[in-house]
Amino acid sequence: MTREDFIAVDRFSFFYGEKQALHDIDMRIPERRVTALIGPSGCGKSTLLRNMNRMNDLIDGVRHRGDIRLNGQSLYDPKVEVISLRKRVGMVFQKYNPFAKTVYENVVFSLRVAGRNRKRELDEVVERSLRSAALWEEVKDRLHDSAFGLSGGQQQRLCIARAIANQPEILLMDEPCAALDPTATLKIESLIRELKEQFTIVIVTHNMEQATRCSDRTAFLYMGRLIEYGDTKQVFENPREDETEAYISGKFS
Amino acid sequence: MSPATPPERPSPDPQRFEVSRGTLLLDRAMTQLIRVGGLAVILAVFGIFLFIVKEIIPLFSAAEVEAEEVVRTPGGAPAVLGVDEWGTKPFLYRGGDEVVVVDIRDGAREVLPVPSLEGVEVTAVSYDPVHRRVAVGLADGRVGSFRVNYQTEFDDAGGRRIVAAVEAEPWFEVGVGEGPVKALGYGDGGAERILVAARGNGLAALRLGQKRALIGKPKLTLTGTSDLSGQVSAEVATTVASQNGKAALVATADGKVSYFLVEGGELVLKQVFAPFGDQPPVRMDYLFGGVSVAMTGASGDQKVYSLFRPEGSSERLFGETKEFAGLGEGRPFFAQSLRNKSFLTGAGRQLSVRHLTSGATRWEGELEFEPVAATFDGKTEHFFIAGPQGEVQRFEFDDPHPEAGWRAFFGKVWYEGGSEPVYQWQSTGGSDDFEPKLSLVPLIIGSLKGTFYALLFSVPVALLAAVFSAAFLPHDMKRVVKPAMEIMASLPSVVLGFLAGIWLAPIIEDKVPSILLVCLSLPLSALIFGVVWSRQPRQVRARFEGGREWIVLLPVVLLVSWAAWSLGPVLEKVAFVYRDEASGRAIADFRLWWPQATGLSFDQRNSLVVGFMMGFAVIPVIFTIAEDALSNVPKTLTAAASALGASRWQVVRSIIIPVASPGIFSALMIGFGRAVGETMIVVMATGNTPVTEWNIFSGMRTLSANIAVELPEAAPGSTHYRTLFLGALVLFLLTFFLNSVAEVMRQRLREKNKLV
Repeated sequence: MTREDFIAVDRFSFFYGEKQALHDIDMRIPERRVTALIGPSGCGKSTLLRNMNRMNDLIDGVRHRGDIRLNGQSLYDPKVEVISLRKRVGMVFQKYNPFAKTVYENVVFSLRVAGRNRKRELDEVVERSLRSAALWEEVKDRLHDSAFGLSGGQQQRLCIARAIANQPEILLMDEPCAALDPTATLKIESLIRELKEQFTIVIVTHNMEQATRCSDRTAFLYMGRLIEYGDTKQVFENPREDETEAYISGKFS
Repeated sequence: MSPATPPERPSPDPQRFEVSRGTLLLDRAMTQLIRVGGLAVILAVFGIFLFIVKEIIPLFSAAEVEAEEVVRTPGGAPAVLGVDEWGTKPFLYRGGDEVVVVDIRDGAREVLPVPSLEGVEVTAVSYDPVHRRVAVGLADGRVGSFRVNYQTEFDDAGGRRIVAAVEAEPWFEVGVGEGPVKALGYGDGGAERILVAARGNGLAALRLGQKRALIGKPKLTLTGTSDLSGQVSAEVATTVASQNGKAALVATADGKVSYFLVEGGELVLKQVFAPFGDQPPVRMDYLFGGVSVAMTGASGDQKVYSLFRPEGSSERLFGETKEFAGLGEGRPFFAQSLRNKSFLTGAGRQLSVRHLTSGATRWEGELEFEPVAATFDGKTEHFFIAGPQGEVQRFEFDDPHPEAGWRAFFGKVWYEGGSEPVYQWQSTGGSDDFEPKLSLVPLIIGSLKGTFYALLFSVPVALLAAVFSAAFLPHDMKRVVKPAMEIMASLPSVVLGFLAGIWLAPIIEDKVPSILLVCLSLPLSALIFGVVWSRQPRQVRARFEGGREWIVLLPVVLLVSWAAWSLGPVLEKVAFVYRDEASGRAIADFRLWWPQATGLSFDQRNSLVVGFMMGFAVIPVIFTIAEDALSNVPKTLTAAASALGASRWQVVRSIIIPVASPGIFSALMIGFGRAVGETMIVVMATGNTPVTEWNIFSGMRTLSANIAVELPEAAPGSTHYRTLFLGALVLFLLTFFLNSVAEVMRQRLREKNKLV
């Protein structure tokens, strides 16, 4: 049984200082599906994604209006620690960013900071996460080598393994293939399709094909507003709004 | 209709692909300029290094000696060889009634009769090169002396002529013992003199006094005779009297040496010692300064005995301080320098110049003949050797830095008058016979001590501040804090030193318990506050989120500091109570308690003040560089760590600090370099006492402060001057070595935390 409103964005507006980046976004993201956020540069899709684990708090002078709820839990509940919130949400960034540590230590980072240091548990988590990220076979013999020795695609998959090690509910991906070559991109995409069995995935992408290949739902944002949101097939084949059609047919980017 | 002609397009500028000559020229010129600039920097560093090394090399070179032609004089071996101050006209005395003066340049001889010696039989001779006095003992039991004086005369052409003359001095009767005088020593202390003479089984010390007469020369009279015969255990072998006219050493046939000192108008036996077991020394010679005596044994062993206060004794007694290499076979001879602690000695044909303090042999050589007497000229520029056939040979002697050497600079040295070997820096003194003490060890320790206390204070403050500013503080605050810290770095160190010495030192002198309490309670209160704060409900904490917690912390810290400061005197009353031994009173004063409890001194201008003020100078340096390094950690890494649920501190500890560690390391090293080389603060805020201890409540003298203080007073080319350069080189090497090690470690850290 999947919840239709696993992530509920309620009339959410967001400001960088005086500049309003998001205007009254209202959307429901279903559980264990891949939801793609598309739109031209500066449309606010990354801002929306980064608000889903309050990463934007790290920036000075930001404020918001409205609310985002994860599985019914408000992100802005004053009784909730931001840190524990972030543990429910894994995040994969545009540019792969492994830590200057071994492959093993990269994967178990989220467990270490939670104070979980039992060797057996960590070993299990490493194998499970790397298998889920389709990386286990490639790195099982070099777990204790530096993560920087891996190729770009491998490093990004390591980042995915790292993000899912603590078994979050949600996986946010901010253009995860932007820095990768086509082969690595295909690998990541098939991985995304596999991961949706376990995680609710929200992915920001510039790549229309990628959105059609791996997402179930697609949201089109433009100028900080949610223009259209629906099944991927419908949005791409039969867009309701003119702007959506113009964007997906390459009129502007 | 003609086909539409394409619109007229301006033909492209054919020169559009060319680069203007000016650009190329400028490019080339700048390249050369930068190259020249870079080379100039390298050359300048090398130039400075070479200059320093050039100044230092003479310190480590041995003496240079050049032998001149041998001048032969008729007659046998002389008993005494003396020379004028300039080393031109040596004189020989053979025990008769004449003195032969030789001009060393042309061999011209001049015979000076000594009228008072006419018709007497001389049985013992001793020579005092300081006063150029020959003391003689006669077969009839009389003792007396004469001096050879040199005078400079200038002729009309401006030429210099040195004229020697003999000055007779009165005879005295040795009333003790029988037979001829067989050994004597004459000690001239000016108004007070002593003449020790052995005659048969008798030993007498004649005390002579010089009374100023109203008209004419002062008259030398006998003020008293002490019969010492009963105080020595065997027959007298040799004797010597001290140059201050107050003491005498008598060696007897059973190997014992007795030390007599004038006390209350009488000679008192102070000490008996046996330098060579049951063999008496063949020679006993006072060295320049009159504190040390070189003893030469029958088998050529040479030991130096000096006067010092042994531990637990209130009197200065003789003790062995140095042992030199054996002289070998033959009759030993000896000559002291009248300038420093060097002496010329040898036996057989072997000749060596040695230095008392450093214990080093400055020069060694071999002679053409077996010497019977030797002497230095007044400036220690020449020495003379006389042979058994009346040969006289002059040697040019050049040893500008006899007291220098590895041992003197870096080893423990047993200085004259000291009760043990020590590391000591004392480069200048009040008296002529002062001996510079040039150990660099106290200065190196001082440099490291000042640096240590400065870093002890500044490193935690600067690094924690940098971490706070880089990882916790909101941007708008950071924009204020960072430039403020940079302004702090621009404060001239002389101002800081002035403040430390004049303002801070007197303030904190009697507030040590308060400072201790503050240093302890400040971090503690911050930690406790952290624990308490993290237990507060989230709603409360949310109000001061994102690095604004300090607004709540600040009043707490201020309050605790104020409380700790005020509680200082209370702590002093409880814990730091000094008990006065004499009156039995108890005084609550840390300044008195510290020396009593630890045995270490307490100075007003101490390492605490220096550490604090120098720390103040070092903090901005470390802070700025470390803050940059911490701020430059890629945001992608910190964001990834935050997204994985790491707290702010966990992000700092596991991501930011490891990645920034090479930069932090550089910051520490640059801070270290700043502290080691810091001069003005140390000069002004410490007493500049070159101590070799790590006591926080005493001062120090650093290498750099030492150069600043002493270089203006050092004569260029002197040992002192060159030693200051050596200090500069040591400082240079110290920082160079540490920086090299640091650079290697930094590269390793960078390699380990390398970013893609």
